[in-house]
Order: sequence, then C-alpha cells, then structure tokens
Amino acid sequence: MASAFSLAVALPLMNITGRCIAGIVLLTRIGVGVSFTVLIAAVLVQVAGRAIGDSPVWTEELTRFALLYTVAFGAGLAFRCGDLVHVDAISESLPAPWPWRLRLFAALATAALAIYLLPYAWNYVAIGRLQSAPALGMRMDFAHITVWILLASLALFAALRAFGMLTGSEDGRPAKDGEE
Amino acid sequence: MEVAILFAVFAGGLALGIPVAITLGLSSLAYILLAGLPPVVMPQKMYAGMDVFVLLSIPGFIFAGKLMNAGGVTERIIRFAQSLVGWIRGGLGLSNIGASMLFGGITGTAVADAASIGGVLIPGMKKAGYPGDFSAAVTAASSTVGPIIPPSVPMIIVGALSGISVGKMFLAGAVPGLLMGVAMMVAAYVVSVRRGFPRQAWQGFGEVARAFGSAVWAIAMTFLIVYGLLSGLATPTETAIVAVVYAALVGGFIYRQLTWRKLVETLVASAVSSAGILALVGFANVFGWILVSERIPQSIAAGVLSITDNKFLVILLINLLLLFVGMFMETIAALIILFVPLLSLAQAVGIEPLHFATFAVLNLMIGLTTPPVGVCLFVTANIARLPLTPVVRAILPFLLANIAVLFAVSYIPPLATWLPSLLVP
Repeated sequence: MASAFSLAVALPLMNITGRCIAGIVLLTRIGVGVSFTVLIAAVLVQVAGRAIGDSPVWTEELTRFALLYTVAFGAGLAFRCGDLVHVDAISESLPAPWPWRLRLFAALATAALAIYLLPYAWNYVAIGRLQSAPALGMRMDFAHITVWILLASLALFAALRAFGMLTGSEDGRPAKDGEE
Repeated sequence: MEVAILFAVFAGGLALGIPVAITLGLSSLAYILLAGLPPVVMPQKMYAGMDVFVLLSIPGFIFAGKLMNAGGVTERIIRFAQSLVGWIRGGLGLSNIGASMLFGGITGTAVADAASIGGVLIPGMKKAGYPGDFSAAVTAASSTVGPIIPPSVPMIIVGALSGISVGKMFLAGAVPGLLMGVAMMVAAYVVSVRRGFPRQAWQGFGEVARAFGSAVWAIAMTFLIVYGLLSGLATPTETAIVAVVYAALVGGFIYRQLTWRKLVETLVASAVSSAGILALVGFANVFGWILVSERIPQSIAAGVLSITDNKFLVILLINLLLLFVGMFMETIAALIILFVPLLSLAQAVGIEPLHFATFAVLNLMIGLTTPPVGVCLFVTANIARLPLTPVVRAILPFLLANIAVLFAVSYIPPLATWLPSLLVP
C-alpha cells in the first residue's frame, strides 16, 4: 500500500522534473547557439570589411561580448554534460553508494558556490552601469551581467541535477552526447 | 595559513570529484573569505580572465574541427594514412599514428582524436588480428599529438597567459609534433615485429594518389590556418572563423556529409565545449591572481634556485613536476595554475619563454595517457571494451617514446624555436 502510494507520487514527480530539465536545456541551447552565431557573424563582417576596405570598429567588441554570452549560457550545459572536467578516478572507484553520494555532493557544492557568489556578481554588474564600451557605446553592465548569468546557469543546472538525483530521474552522471 | 587552506580545499575538491573549475572557485573563495577580501573580487577577476582577446579564437577552432569531423573527414584521413604506411609490419598501428598526426592538424584536441579515430580503427584493428590492448594503447598515445601540431587549444591558452604570439606557439609545436609521430611509429613497429602483428598488401601509388585526393581538402585546413596566422592577413579569431566557413563548405559541398541538422548540433556542441573551457579559465584566473598576490611564483623560483641554478637540472625538475601533475590534473587547469609560476623559474635560469611553453604543453599532453586520470586512456579502453590495466601496460612503449621526445625538445631548444624564428620575423 505504502509502496503503491510512493510510486504514485514519485513517478509524476520524476516526469515533471525530467520535463522541466528538458525545457531549460532547450532554452539555454538556444541562448548558446544564438550567441555563438552572433560571434561568427561579427567576425565574418570584420573579415569581409577588411577585404573590401575597412572593417567597422564595433566588430571586435561585439565578438568579445558574444563570446562572454556564449560562456554565460553554455556554462550550465557544460556542467551538465561533463565539459566542466572533473577527476572521478577516486570517487567512482569507491563502493556503492559512495559514488552516487559524491556526485550529489559535487552538484550541491557547485550550486552553493554559484548561489553564494550571485549577489556579489550583481554588485559587479552595478559597477558596469557607470562605464560604457568605447566602440559600441553599450553600458558595460550588459557585459558584466554575463558573469551573473554564468553563475545563475551553473546554480540552476547543479540544483536540477541534485533535485533529479533525489527524485530518481537521473543518476548524476554527465548527460550523454547528443542529449545536450 | 590562507594559502594552506587554498591548496587543501583545492586538493580535497579534486579528490571528491567536484568539477575542476568549481574546485578552483571554492578554494579561491575560501582564501578570499579568510583573508578578509571583498568577494566581489571573484566575479571581477572571472570576467577579466574570460575577456581576453586571444581566447576569442578557441570556439572557432573547436567548431572548425568538429565540423570537419561531422563532414566525414575521419575515414578519408585513415584511408590516406593506410595507403602510405599500411604495408609495413604492424601497418594499422602506424596508420593510426599517421592519421592522428593529420587529424591533429584539424581538430587540435586529443580526446576528439582518440574518440574519432579510435571509433573507426580500434574495431578495424581487432578484426584484422591486432590485440585490443595494443589497438587501444596506440590510439590513446597517438591522440596526444593533436594539441602539439597546430591548431592547439592549450597553446592558445598559453598565448593568453604569456603574451607569446599564437602563430609562433603553433609553429613551435610543428617539429615536436612530427618527432612524436615518428618516435611512436618506431615504437609501434618494434612492438609489431616482436608480437608478430600482420601487415597489409601494398596498394600501389594509384591508391596513394586517390586517397590523397580524397583527404586533401581536410589536410589543407591545417595549412590554411597556419598561412592565415603567419601572413598577418588575419588575427587568430578571424583565421578560426574562416576555417569554420571552409570546413562547412568542404563538409557540405565536397564531402556532402554535412547536413543542416548536423551543422546546428555541431555549433551548439562546440559552443558548450568552449564555454566549459572558458568558465574554467575564468575561475582559474581568480586562483592564479591569488598565487601571484601571494608571490607564489617567486617563492617557487627562489626555492628551486636555492637547490640548484643549473639550467639542465631546473629543466629536469620542471619536467618531473609537470609529468606528476599531468597524471592527476586536467591539462588546461594545470597550465593556467602552473604556467606563470614556472615561467618565472624558467626565465630565471635563461630558458626562452617560447621554448618553455612548448615543452610544458608537450609534457602535459603526455599526462592524457598516464593513469590514474589519463582521459584518452579511458576513451580508448572503453571503445576496445577492455579494463584499464592491459591498456596501461600496452601503452608503456609509446609513453617512453613520447617522454624521449619531451626530453629532446626540452634540452635542444631549436627543435621548438627554429621554425618560428625562420618564418616569423
């Protein structure tokens, strides 16, 4: 009776968690794809401009900002699919359930660091309001906010991993190729 | 006290399996809090670390390499390498090394090389009668040549850390990369003769020409990149993006294997890989800033120089330290943390920065094939469906060959510096 009840609660929770994660992954993939496309387009404008005469002055700044946004959106995905390299030779060789516990600890430690730093990253964003980019004329808080987004995306994906592990929808190992 | 906590949290985080970037962040934060510094310094230093002009080229080079791979370059390169050396005893092992040398000139990353070439050649070698341990070992060992032959992500990072021109760094890797390939081919041949591995029939010059014709578009990308950088016509970032366009055109219109879907998937995967590297660079910049403000580079240099100021012994000590660190730490993290402190030491005994950078990168690449954290070993053992131990045993001759090249490059500076000084004024 009790196990039937817990199954009735756990299964929908796992489905909801899985769907939430998939939705967030899709959104950040779009963010990372658009930023990287802007980076490529800005560099191509620069190359084409030079070929026909003179490059616009704003392309280098736009390229730099596009890279920062690519990193900001992509950091969480990199955590999720193991591109934020970790040394698991020791932790994964321990007897069960220690590898699972350590993966959970790693996710919680990542989320804790990122969440702790978020208010300080916001202070840094605020500093940028007083500055502007020389070529684009853009306020620098729009560039500084990439560090806040990076930390927020790390916090989000690490928390989702911990939540997914606790609800049983994932085991905490990096997502496989193609999934991300 | 704060510095001891910094290193203790760092070592503990690595041992517990926390991602390297996060471990760098946690240890830096522990230091900052204990030292009473404002934590806002962390986002500030992370931003400064990621907003470096030279780093802009990393996503482009990664994307160009992945595009070439998605466009069907692997089989063509393997076929060309087989047509050249497949007829020698142990020819498939030699082809594996040759393919890695050509492939390294396209992707610039060892793990991609191990996975792509290993995915095709390890099953092929096993089918042809080669033992799985040798097949996995030769693939893992040869993949380390990828980041030595241009282009190379670790060399771009070194350029960002030291201000050495990326073009010079790329050129400095060319001769050592070729030497590594030749040394590993000799090792593979000796092992093949001893263990009686098979050889294939000579396919004739016609096959060499046909295979070259098929692979030439991919191989030409290496030359396009080197020309772009050396001619001064383009910055590293521009060269990387031009290489992206070239790879997309070759994969889409010449090899006809690159679909729109693959293009988009590859774009996102490349951006995510780059984000992982640059997030690591951002966190490591905070860690590096702490090391510099605590005068750790000067302390290391003074400590070593108090033991010896003999240049040859210092080179030996640096190499032993990097080989040890490379066994446990991810290459880019190790470079970011150790490069600047060790560069101070190297310069103190008269080692040229370009020379030091070349043998440091080469050294850390060897760490990709040494247990317990040799990523390429794991990849190829997994493809060969073998436990790690037999592959570790089988990789020993190749490790020795690579270490021999490392010491040659360390003690004969022109092996690294001759080509850049010849081609870059």
